[in-house]
Amino acid sequence: MKKRLLALAMVAALIIATLASCSTPGGDSSSGGEKVFRYATNTEPTTFDLTKGNSIGDNEIQHAISEGLTRNTGGNVTPGIAESWDISEDGCVYTFHLRDANWSDGQPIKAQDFVYSWQRLVDPAVSSPYAWYLDTIGVKNAAGVNSGELKPEELGIKAIDDKTLEITLDRPMAVLLSALGMQSNLNPLRQDIVEQYGDEFAATADKNVYSGPFVLTSTENNLYVFEKNPEFWDADNIKLDRVELNYIEKADTALGLYESGELDYVRLDNAVVENYKDNDDYGIYLNGNVDYCYINPNSDNPVWANKNFRLALNYALNRVEYNQLANSGLYNPYNALCFPGLTGKGGKTYGETYDVNSYAYPMEGDVEKAQAYLADAMKELGIANASDIEIEFVTTDAESNKKIAEVLQEQWQNALGIKVNIRQVTYADIYGEVYPKFDYEIGYAGWGPDYDDPTTYLNLFRSDVNWYTPYGNPDFDAKLDAAQAITDDPDARMDLLNEAEQILIEDGAWVPLQARNQSYLLSPKMKDVTFYSFSINIDWAYADVAE
Amino acid sequence: MTKYVIKRVIAAILTLWALITIVFFLVRLMPGEPFTNPKLSPQVIENMTKYYGFDKPLIVQYFQYLGNLLHGNFGFSMKYTNKTVNYIIGQTFPFSADLGLRALTLAISFGLVLGILAARKRGTKIDFVCVLIAIIGTSIPDFIMGALLQYFFGIKWGLLPIALYKGFKYTILPATALAFYTLASVSRIMRASMLEVTSQDYIKTARSKGLSELRITVKHQIRNAIMPVMTILGPTVAAVLTGTFVIEAIFAIPGMGKYYVESVNNNDYSMILGMTLFYGIFLVTANLIVDILYGVADPRVRIGKK
Repeated sequence: MKKRLLALAMVAALIIATLASCSTPGGDSSSGGEKVFRYATNTEPTTFDLTKGNSIGDNEIQHAISEGLTRNTGGNVTPGIAESWDISEDGCVYTFHLRDANWSDGQPIKAQDFVYSWQRLVDPAVSSPYAWYLDTIGVKNAAGVNSGELKPEELGIKAIDDKTLEITLDRPMAVLLSALGMQSNLNPLRQDIVEQYGDEFAATADKNVYSGPFVLTSTENNLYVFEKNPEFWDADNIKLDRVELNYIEKADTALGLYESGELDYVRLDNAVVENYKDNDDYGIYLNGNVDYCYINPNSDNPVWANKNFRLALNYALNRVEYNQLANSGLYNPYNALCFPGLTGKGGKTYGETYDVNSYAYPMEGDVEKAQAYLADAMKELGIANASDIEIEFVTTDAESNKKIAEVLQEQWQNALGIKVNIRQVTYADIYGEVYPKFDYEIGYAGWGPDYDDPTTYLNLFRSDVNWYTPYGNPDFDAKLDAAQAITDDPDARMDLLNEAEQILIEDGAWVPLQARNQSYLLSPKMKDVTFYSFSINIDWAYADVAE
Repeated sequence: MTKYVIKRVIAAILTLWALITIVFFLVRLMPGEPFTNPKLSPQVIENMTKYYGFDKPLIVQYFQYLGNLLHGNFGFSMKYTNKTVNYIIGQTFPFSADLGLRALTLAISFGLVLGILAARKRGTKIDFVCVLIAIIGTSIPDFIMGALLQYFFGIKWGLLPIALYKGFKYTILPATALAFYTLASVSRIMRASMLEVTSQDYIKTARSKGLSELRITVKHQIRNAIMPVMTILGPTVAAVLTGTFVIEAIFAIPGMGKYYVESVNNNDYSMILGMTLFYGIFLVTANLIVDILYGVADPRVRIGKK
């Protein structure tokens, strides 16, 4: 009996010890007297190797821990590692003069560090997901190096000496300076560090060196800790001592932590916006994402090659009603392609420069016109009854996308009398197979801008670009080429790009739906947190905490 | 007994090999490709296909993978490009295991006690309460339980932290939420099995021998009634320790569960294989231990009995 009692006592002690054991794998972190910003993200960073960064989340982090030739803070472009620069007359050769700046380990940042970084970005053997970026901003030979036809040394970037860097473009791109300050894949890298760690480079915070305002000190346990980089060239103007980014998957959980004062910033789920939108700490930013439907004119279904049919779909939609039903009215219904927040002419935005509504599809639709287009299409296609037309709409299996598909289905069926089938596939399927192999008729997708210029959207529809849609139109290509040839008159270039967008609209090249925005809560004690629509959403590098 | 154990171990290894082989080929049949970032140009996809060796024949890739496995190397994740699957498991498993261990201890100890109590006091209010807890536990899904606990203990009463995992008080809510279902099933099975045992002849014999009630319950009833509970413990331990997607997500715990689910959504082949194999090893080991314990508890089970 005694033995049994002892055994019982031991089991009880073990249970209590397990349950009450205070040490968890993480461990607490606290701060006193420091300026700290704590926020949450619901997209886990995929990498801290800036060459391989491939999402807004990755880019936002790199924007804080690395420094480009320029720095773009919410559209305001200021000198970064480059103190000054000269631009050749044809707009194709940029010569950057670098300042004396150091890496976080005290080594000087050299022009060669940029050359190495750029060559690595397009090196097919490295296979960076964002290798295409250099080509989109016009860097000479970027596409050739990435396809393996040219050697990395032939890329349009050259170190004249330690402090002078020359970048050559194959076409003038006025947006280059803005892109250099915002797309962190273009920031410098230290060859010795990358080679020292090999495949494990940047796998953890200590296997890297940093050129930006902050250094990463921990990436463990879904908590990313940034501390002020004393070696940063502009360290005197960096106010925050520390930033903590928590990866929290569930928006509700993050919101709970914000409300209990453990976070200073959270993004809000659309479902709860209604409860918060009158609060002082509520805010909203446009994230540059434009959602729309791609059309595959080469589909087996002959209706898609018919312009009048595509226009019928576009005119049949009441985008205001659609936005109410599909997005609870939270986004902005949109009837064109280029995000209205782009920089337009004379300091105005693209949306202010051009009156989109004068040439785009009517926001509330025009069913009569749609039916007229449909009648024309049917005549051309030799179809007697609208009900004989059957189209297939593809989207992912996400609940929100299903709702979008159903609203569109209903509007098209009601307005045109055609039959719309919905095909739902997985996320991996739609981006891995369906779009790349054009295995669709019409599908829901969208585009987030890569730089602040209409071509980031327009280029997708070029005949020689086959990312999502095989669409092609020689008139459209010619307009883009003409715009590209203009070096000295940015306004004339912008007009040509706008005319190109109008060609897409007249041709029913796609079906625009909405411009997205994001609601958030930001603690009122935070100052100078910037929101931006291009590759970066939240920028806290120069933020401050009110005393 | 040794022969029995050796046989079990060999069967376990064969099971794992079959698992790897089946999963290796099945993931390739899933619709889509592992490169699911919407912003990959066709050239980039071509480069990545080469980089990961997907342009080689499948059978070559299979033997390469097996070769790496022999060195304990699960390869690099395709989504978290600089991290090996080993590293991700090493980072996240301690959290899942810590949470799981707490939940298991809670579930098994309370589950058994409730089950025994209910059976001993059958038909009384105590029995009713125990059965009620069991029904609630099995019918309320853990994500609702988690959210309810969060709301009342975290937000409404402010007693415990809502989420994250930074110390003892952070563990209470998630462990309770996670434990509830297992606790309920353990108590239900224990109660039923206790009642079944009560009517057995050997209990009547023990009682007629004049043994005390306590002695009958502890020595004869529980020992025999616990067998069905042990049967479910194998898979339960493996499932609970290797991370539960929902509870970890609700409480923002940096555990393994999320990576498992996410890898399937992203077609992250190396991660799916690594996670499945890791889970498989756990499940097979847990079952192996249960098998052996079975042999200990019930001599008839031993296959090599003399």
